[in-house]
Amino acid sequence: MEPALRAGDWILVSSLSRPPRVGEIVLVRDPRDPANLILKRVAAVADGACTVLGDRLEESTDSRTFGPVPLANVLGRALLRYGPVGRIGWLW
Amino acid sequence: MFLTRLLKPRITASAHCDLPCGVYDPEQARIEAESCYKIIEKYNASSDEQFKTRAILIKEERAELAKHHIDVLWSDYFKPEHVQKNPEITELCWKAAKQCSKVKGSLDIADARTLLEMIDKIADVWTKAGGPQATRVAKAVAARA
Repeated sequence: MEPALRAGDWILVSSLSRPPRVGEIVLVRDPRDPANLILKRVAAVADGACTVLGDRLEESTDSRTFGPVPLANVLGRALLRYGPVGRIGWLW
Repeated sequence: MFLTRLLKPRITASAHCDLPCGVYDPEQARIEAESCYKIIEKYNASSDEQFKTRAILIKEERAELAKHHIDVLWSDYFKPEHVQKNPEITELCWKAAKQCSKVKGSLDIADARTLLEMIDKIADVWTKAGGPQATRVAKAVAARA
């Protein structure tokens, strides 16, 4: 997800008050391992599920591998990168 | 310090599920397959039994490496959108991997030649899919010639 997200970034995630929209970064449960949480960008929302893709298509493991994520497993929307200080910025 | 502790995230999420280097090139498989080809040539030209035994061993090792590199291309590099645009890639990789096994046990130069041709077909798809630009680090101008 670079350059939007880098290892070690601190991210504020809000719970969903509405279905995610295309282009937003969402926190989802990895369908292959529900204990694993991942942040990816929404590419499409249809039929109660969300297709998520990484920003670096060549290297990302995303819906192309694990399929669309049911909305029940979309835990929230990334709003703000609040750390490290030099990287503070909105994510929407 | 208190503030840092307070603000520190409590949940860790990953944004990057695997960490491949992102460098993929069928040339890696081709070089191993070329080794097999040349080794078979040398084997057939030699009458030194010791040399011939070593040649067989090394050829088997190289064929296995070629198979590994094809497998990496297939399982790590080619993505669903590549398969959508080039549906033949599934069978090309599958057959080429099988041909590696054949070359492993064969001393027929034609089998090694077939493997090279199969890898070249995979390379054609890789090139069409933008592989050279997407996966390789550009060489210095002098080395490109």
